[in-house]
Parts: sequence; structure tokens; C-alpha cells
Amino acid sequence: MAMLQLENMDCGYGAFHAVHDLSLTIQQGEIFALLGPNGAGKSSTIMSIAGHVQLMSGAIRFDGTDISSLSARERVRLGIAVAPEGRRLFPDLTIEENLTVGGYSLPKGRETINKEIVFTLFPRLTERLKQPASTLSGGEQQMLAMGRAMMAEPRLLMIDEVSLGLMPKMVDVCYHAINHLKSQGVTILLVEQNTKRALEVADQVCVLESGQSVWQGTATEARKAPDLIEAFLGMTKEAS
Amino acid sequence: MLYVELLAQGLVQGSIYALVAVGLTLVYGLLRILHVAHAGLFTLGGYVGVLVTNATGSLLLALLVAMVTVGIVGMAIYRLCYQPILDKPPYVALIASIGLFIAMEEVYRLVFGPYGISFENPPLQDVVQMFGVTLRLGEVATAAGTLLLVGALAVFSGKTRFGTAWRATVTDPDMAESFGIDIIKVRYLNFFIGSAFAASAGVMVALLNNMVEPTMGSVPSYKALAIIVLGGLGDVRGTLLAALALGVIEAFGTIYLGKFLDRDAIAFAFLILVLMVRPQGLFGRA
Ligand SMILES: Nc1ncnc2c1ncn2[C@@H]1O[C@H](COP(=O)(O)OP(=O)(O)OP(=O)(O)O)[C@@H](O)[C@H]1O
Ligand SMILES: [Mg+2]
Repeated sequence: MAMLQLENMDCGYGAFHAVHDLSLTIQQGEIFALLGPNGAGKSSTIMSIAGHVQLMSGAIRFDGTDISSLSARERVRLGIAVAPEGRRLFPDLTIEENLTVGGYSLPKGRETINKEIVFTLFPRLTERLKQPASTLSGGEQQMLAMGRAMMAEPRLLMIDEVSLGLMPKMVDVCYHAINHLKSQGVTILLVEQNTKRALEVADQVCVLESGQSVWQGTATEARKAPDLIEAFLGMTKEAS
Repeated sequence: MLYVELLAQGLVQGSIYALVAVGLTLVYGLLRILHVAHAGLFTLGGYVGVLVTNATGSLLLALLVAMVTVGIVGMAIYRLCYQPILDKPPYVALIASIGLFIAMEEVYRLVFGPYGISFENPPLQDVVQMFGVTLRLGEVATAAGTLLLVGALAVFSGKTRFGTAWRATVTDPDMAESFGIDIIKVRYLNFFIGSAFAASAGVMVALLNNMVEPTMGSVPSYKALAIIVLGGLGDVRGTLLAALALGVIEAFGTIYLGKFLDRDAIAFAFLILVLMVRPQGLFGRA
């Protein structure tokens, strides 16, 4: 069943269209990878689905209903959560408080249960619960950003730049969590600079370039034609 | 003994600065607006305090009524004056705020008369001996009341779920909203608390001077601006410390520098001095 559908979506800033005429469908329970060079419009797409970047035309359907007129706050209540570009943790809040805010859309009773789940996936976080998030290393920050989003019990989790700037070991921890979430039935939209890694876990792939979709297909197809993908990604080749 | 006396008086004065400046720094932290009209709420608090005390005989009741009504007026100012112009450049809100402040002073003049009003039976005027210094009960109550209010604020913002949401909203409103926080509610609460604190300061000043007048907010309005810059704009803890520091420095300054520097000029001499050495404020991070 289609969980999220973008229909001829344009979004952007002021009069500037960062994404043009993007259509894609994400099925329930799959991992969808959004790839593309710097400035392609990946983050804009994610933040538009989350309700922060202005939709200019087209529609965003979640479970079949158009959510484009809903506020960001209403969207998280439907089950859309984001681990955004640059993590955007609350730097002065402690790790525990960041998680509390993550679960703010749910009744307080869910908080304890969900924290336990986050701690099982990211045991590192338990060691520094009372410290401000600003004191965390890059890898720990990404764990916390993912954990914070998980606190909202998302049905669609969007993760921007999963492995950017992380040591390989940290990348493994994050992907372990992603696989676990998938096994729990969570649908995942991820943006990843590391194309190889993304194609390993993804079910579906969309390549964006200059705000437009230039290739869509299954990850299996994409893996069979690595040259094709690399040609589209061109500039990000060295990063993968 | 003079030193202790000056220190005590400085801390009492500093408490009042703190109660006024906290609201200003809260509004700045959340909306990046310099809320000049905040000092008009301080004056309103003083008026409500005196009027209710005179009508009921209870200062405590007057304090509560002043805090609640002024808190509500503060929320109304947000809704009517600031919310419609939030997406305009910051100076638009600043101009609106200055205009509102002038208008408020004129309204007080028209409604309550130009000469000010006083308590019929001024409360808490008895004198007590503490730590070897002589203080009026009103001064002790001011310091104690400030401690209580600031303590309550610290517990609320530090220990409750909504307080956590509040602090999250201050650092990143978009992300806060993305996790389900009602940021409009946070803004209302922010204005309510800041305005109620200013009102409590107004009541305390009314008590200490036995007088409220339409322009009693003028000096606090610019001094509070100096204080929040010193404290590192938006930083509540820094603002509280800067307010106390300024109170104490003024107390000593009037004695030792009073001949060539007016009391109200000391704040700005101090501000300039600090900003030359630490442009990020006394406690701000570089
Ligand atoms: N806040 C903004 N205001 C104006 N333009 C923006 C803003 N954010 C992004 N853009 C522009 O929108 C376009 C798409 O940017 P976006 O951040 O979505 O790309 P991206 O694919 O996420 O790139 P990257 O890989 O560098 O993160 C770019 O041209 C960028 O300059
Ligand atoms: Mg991006």
C-alpha cells in the first residue's frame, strides 16, 4: 500500500523553486533512498514533507489523504518524523530532554517505553543522559537525532544524511538501527551521500538533480547499473 | 558595616532589575524582539498593586492580581502588536514597541492622573535588623519574593515537560514544532510569565517608594535593555546575574562615584566597559 505519494510537487523558498514537478511513491514498510548531488533538492523535499519548506504546487499524500495544508505539528501526529540535515538537536537540552521533546506528540506514558527502545539500539546514549547535547560527538549526535525521531513512534521516518561525517563503526550502528526499524514495519525515507551503502539497504531509489527526478527504480536495478547511478551522481562520486 | 549595607541595598535593587529584565530577555530569546513596552507593564503592575491593596487591604492579594492581569495584558500585546508583524524585519517590532510604550505612559496619565498614587496605609514599612544591617520589611520581602519567583521559574523550566518544550522552542522553533510542540502556546506562556514578573517588580517598587507614577517605567526600560545585553541576549541566567551585579555596582557607585557620575549613568558606563572587554556579554559564549 502506498504510504507517501508526492504528486507533481514543487517546493522552495520565496519565489525560488528548489524542487520541480517531483512525483514519487513510497510503499508501506520499504526503505526509499533519495540520492543526488549537492543542491539537488533532497533536503528541501524532506523538509517539505515535514511541513517546513513551502509547497508551491502539487500534492503530498500520506495514507491517501492530502496533508499539504497541515502544520508540521499535525504531521508528526499522523506519524511523520524527521532526523534532519545537520541533526538540529536542541544543544542546551540534555540528551534525555532531547528525547523527551522527541516524544512530545504522544501521551507522557509512552515516553519511558520508547526511551528504552532507543537505548537498546543506541546504548552509547545512556552513558551521558544528563549532559547537554552540544557535548556529543558527531556520531552520538546522529544517534540522538535518530533516537529523538523514534520517540515520536513514526510510521514514516525521514533521515537526512545518515552517514555524513561519521566513522565507519558509527555508520554501522545507524544502519543497524535502520534495519531494525524496517523489521518493525517502519517506512523509511533516507538521504545518503554514501551511494553504495544506501543501495545495500534500499528497496526503491530516486535520483534528483537540480530539483528534478532524473531516475527512479528499484535498488536491485540500480545495483545492476552502478555506472548509470554514478553518472547521475557525478559530483558526489568521491564521497561514496 | 557600610559595605554590607551597600551590598544588601544593591541586591534588593538588583532583584527588581532582575524581575523586569527576565521578561525582556525571554521575549528576545524566543522572538528576537526588543520588547521596550515591557517596562510599561512594570508600571501597570505598580498601579494595580496599589489600587488593589487600597481596596482590599491585602498586599499579597494585590500582588497576585497584578501578576495575573498584567500577564494577560502581556499576552494581548503579543497577539495584537507583535504577532501580525513577526515576519517583518526586527526594527518594525522595535518601533511598534516604542510607540506602544509611549502610548501606555499616556494612558496611565489619562486614567490615573499625572501626579501618581500612593498606598493609603503603606504596608511592610517596619524596620528589621538582619546580618547587622537595618532593612525595611519591604526590602526583605522584595529580595525574598524575587528568590521565590526565580526559583519557581527555574523549577518550571528545568523540571517539567512543558518547561523542556519551552527551552526547546527557544533554540529551534521549527524542530520543536516538528515534534508536536504548540509553539504559539509557548509564546503566550512566555509573555505571561515575563509580564507577570515585571508586574511583581512594579508592586515592589511601589512598596519601596510608596509611589507609582506614569513615567516610573522610563528608567527601568533602558536599564533593562542594558542588563539583557550584559547578560547575553536571551540568556536568562546571565540576565539575572547581570541584574544583581548592576544593582550592587550602582549601590557602591553612588557612594564612590556619585560626585561625577549619576546613578543612572553608571549602568551605561558599566555596559560600555563590559562590552569593550567581552562583546558577547558578561557570561555569553564567545
Ligand atoms: N533556506 C533556503 N533558502 C533559500 N534557498 C535554499 C534554502 N535551502 C536550500 N536552498 C536552495 O535550494 C536548493 C536545494 O537545496 P537542498 O538543501 O534541498 O539540496 P540537497 O540536495 O539537500 O543538497 P545537499 O546534498 O548539499 O544537502 C539549492 O539550490 C539551495 O541553494
Ligand atoms: Mg541536504
